[in-house]
Amino acid sequence: MVPAPENIIGYYGFPRREDIRLARERYGCHLPLVDLDVYQGAPDSGLLGTTTCRIISNIVDNAVFYSRRLSAVIADVGEGKCDRGRHIAYLLRGMGFQVIESRITEAEFENRPLVWSRSAGTLRERVNRIMDSVIDAAPPGDTPLPCAPTHGFWGVPPHDFRILDLFPPTTHIYGWTRCVEAGRPSDLELECSIDEGVPTVFFTQSFCAKQDLAHYLAEKFGGMEVDCHRDVNDSIGGKVEAFLKLS
Amino acid sequence: MLIADCGSTWTKILDTDTERLEIIQTREMVKRDDLFFEIATGHSGKNRCRLYRNELIALAEGSLSLVEEEDFSVVDVGGRDLKFIRFAGRKIQKLDWNLACGSSTGATIELLGNYYQADFDALAPSRKWINVTCGVFGMEKVLEHVSTGTDAGESLAMFIHGLVRNVFDFTGRPDRLFLSGGFCANNCFLQTLAKYCSVVALGRTVPLEGLRGKHHLEEADLTGGAP
Ligand code: SF4
Repeated sequence: MVPAPENIIGYYGFPRREDIRLARERYGCHLPLVDLDVYQGAPDSGLLGTTTCRIISNIVDNAVFYSRRLSAVIADVGEGKCDRGRHIAYLLRGMGFQVIESRITEAEFENRPLVWSRSAGTLRERVNRIMDSVIDAAPPGDTPLPCAPTHGFWGVPPHDFRILDLFPPTTHIYGWTRCVEAGRPSDLELECSIDEGVPTVFFTQSFCAKQDLAHYLAEKFGGMEVDCHRDVNDSIGGKVEAFLKLS
Repeated sequence: MLIADCGSTWTKILDTDTERLEIIQTREMVKRDDLFFEIATGHSGKNRCRLYRNELIALAEGSLSLVEEEDFSVVDVGGRDLKFIRFAGRKIQKLDWNLACGSSTGATIELLGNYYQADFDALAPSRKWINVTCGVFGMEKVLEHVSTGTDAGESLAMFIHGLVRNVFDFTGRPDRLFLSGGFCANNCFLQTLAKYCSVVALGRTVPLEGLRGKHHLEEADLTGGAP
């Protein structure tokens, strides 16, 4: 007999660690935690409009895809995510999912060391290590050394990670991803802190309000604003490549 | 040696031995199996050349070949995108490539021009403009204007004015702008842009000049520095 696929606990954004712990206690500590922000191969559910941030669509598509296997969704509805994150928590609840709303307040901000944001290594791997720290706050056993930045990547983990492969290993990570590593997801000061003189790509998903920040910061620091909706195409790749090579 | 700038709608091919320039539609170029280039830039040239150059880098190097000034801004208005470079002391200060918003506006003007049989040399600039968020939104506005009685030529001039405003804002509202691409031959576009800043038309071959390799910009090695 084929064993039934395991149930999972989904989450998105950066929920409070305590809420994650309580959800695991309640629904099963053995259940895998799955980041619903990330494309998991789910088909397009068609439940949201086409001009919706792709990360938000991923959350809904993944939820529909996992359906009954999804024991609960720990939804980041705080300032560290966005209004869309709050709205889809409401939609998911309306669709019958068990939704646990979670918001990190300033009083709960951590001050974790910026290890992966400031070290050398494949950008894709370092962004993944940072995002893993949302559910596992244990310090890395293989702590890399910091390096001097030649380039910068500012933004959220993209829907299509291939854009990260264009960057050299000496790229520092800024923006929301750095805030996650620090354990301060809605710290706007930290999100907007850039090392002057480091040529930085200000990345956003299309239709995200962070485009306003990216535009402002790109102008202020002489960086380049890049937005991408679904897959990275040749033109987006060419634009990033030209900036990285010539800056 | 054949070098080519394979744009989304037009392909410019230069034989550097004879200096013969051929401009053909890209949809024709992609059907020709006999065409292979020594150096190429532009999306459709990627798989038919020995050496491929990034479009923005080709534009930057071509601009430096054609413009002798220390500080200047150049914009390439293409069929589906805008590319912009600002030089200070002949070094790149800012570069940008508008792919999403404002996309396909160039190609849309060509389509609408053919549809309404417009003569862009004779078309008078309009003081009014249409908000050209992208080609499709702009086209919808033109059709709406025409259907509610605005002259087709005036509607097209309004679309061009909208595109000009996008270009002017995208380039940071400079006093003077060097223009690259097919719009250098569009009189209505040139006259409209001239109301915002002084314009120097460089023609359609700026990226090709870049491919000739007279000016090589220093490029960072993106593979180095691995831990
Ligand atoms: S990318 Fe922006 S809009 Fe999308 S989920 Fe993240 S914060 Fe919200």
